[in-house]
Amino acid sequence: MSEDKKGKRMVAAVWIFFIAAAWELLAYLLKYVIRDQMADMKLPFPHVIAITLVQNWKVLLEAGAVTFSRAVIGFAFGAGVGIILAVVMSLSKTLEKIAFPYLIISQMIPVLGLAPIIFNIVRDMNVSRILIAAYITFFPVAVNMLSGLKSVEQEKKDLLYSIAASKYNVYTKLMFPFSMSYLFTGLKIAAPMAVTASILVDMLGSKSGIGVKILYSLYSNSTNIFWASVVTSAFMGIISYYIVVFIQKLLLPWQNVIPKEAGAAV
Amino acid sequence: MRNKIGKIVWPAVVGIAFIVVWQLGLLHKLLNLKPFQLPVPSEIALTLADNWQKALTDCGVTISGALIGMFIGSLIGFMIAVIATFFPKWGYGGMIVITAFNAVPVVALSPIMNLWFKTGMGQKIGVVTVVCMAAMAINAYSGLNKLKPFSIDLMHTVAAGKWTIFRKLRLPNSLPYIFTACKINIASAIIAAIISEYFAASTSGLGFGIKDNLRKAEMAMGWSYIVVASMAGIILYLIILLVERDAIKWHASQR
Repeated sequence: MSEDKKGKRMVAAVWIFFIAAAWELLAYLLKYVIRDQMADMKLPFPHVIAITLVQNWKVLLEAGAVTFSRAVIGFAFGAGVGIILAVVMSLSKTLEKIAFPYLIISQMIPVLGLAPIIFNIVRDMNVSRILIAAYITFFPVAVNMLSGLKSVEQEKKDLLYSIAASKYNVYTKLMFPFSMSYLFTGLKIAAPMAVTASILVDMLGSKSGIGVKILYSLYSNSTNIFWASVVTSAFMGIISYYIVVFIQKLLLPWQNVIPKEAGAAV
Repeated sequence: MRNKIGKIVWPAVVGIAFIVVWQLGLLHKLLNLKPFQLPVPSEIALTLADNWQKALTDCGVTISGALIGMFIGSLIGFMIAVIATFFPKWGYGGMIVITAFNAVPVVALSPIMNLWFKTGMGQKIGVVTVVCMAAMAINAYSGLNKLKPFSIDLMHTVAAGKWTIFRKLRLPNSLPYIFTACKINIASAIIAAIISEYFAASTSGLGFGIKDNLRKAEMAMGWSYIVVASMAGIILYLIILLVERDAIKWHASQR
């Protein structure tokens, strides 16, 4: 198991090195062979980005933290709504019938496209950011949680009811623990999306945050800062995913024994 | 049968009730909004009826960009999955690293693609391509590799080559997974196309329409664009569902 893991890390490391080298080569070709005027902007050297990252880590970290913290609030809010909705839907068949089609339709409404409209309605950067991050979070959480609650075997429920367990007990002792892994699958999907939403709202007219950094550096032609900000925002997406994975390991230690299901990554 | 009617009637009743509440202004009271901030449904419908031709043209621009990008992105994602299937150790690792590019937020991707492509269409297609790659790669990889137990052994007993196994076993097996990826991608493709239009230099498309109308404070027009975008998304989703039902039927009968 750990041998296997080491091998996987090695493969990933070789790949990252390989991609960085290819990128470096392409950037060189673009700048000195093709002599593209915009070479620095289009495809800068990775080492230049790395140096800029190190030089500006404090500013970038601050901006990232602002965006990230707001994303977290919206994420927590949306996850809460999603869980409650899933529980309510699992309690009542009628409510499930009413709500489920709208859950699907809600995904077809381009909510990130709605961002400027929501911003126009609430007129407050932080509230609209939290609302949008929450809206994006609640769907994958609700759907995954619901499918978790529904895949509890009937026999197990019958057993608990046969010893006169109340509905409340059935949920706390059986349904919730069972659906936890489903819930975390939903959270893993939602976390990077919440970060994206937060960055977009930054760009629509916030005063601070990584999205503002991206826009300003783009307009003021500070190429290196621009790319460093993009890399930072990509990192934020990846980190948000691994934070959820970490919390899952912390809260559900019994799952570490079971080999991970394939396709859970990203 | 009764169950089926309930499935349609209940949501419809609630939906109509919601629109009525919205129309009568109760929603505005509840959220403490002014009518100019959130137009009522009849106003949106009238605006849409007046401008449907322009909205449809803009919708066509966005959707065609989204579909082309989705096609290219899904194709690349599928190729990555195939390569990863043939070279499990190195290919799979590479696939995971490449899909990490998916973590680059759409909003950061759009300005980059703006630099790379001269036209708004090229930029849109570029953004959507990157967005659609990862979901297809990961789903197709699962489909190509989550085979029924012993099916590979069976293929080996009849001396099937790698290519035959791929064609006869892995490819049909991956179909349901590919449709799942398509369903994920169609929603994210439209959203990515709209967002990329916020940042593009282009002067057409739904994203531009939303941005432009809000800037001019024409809320009803902005909302009618949202309605058009949602409609397009739902229709495309339904088309995929229909095709899927046919394909899965074929797939199930094959087994």
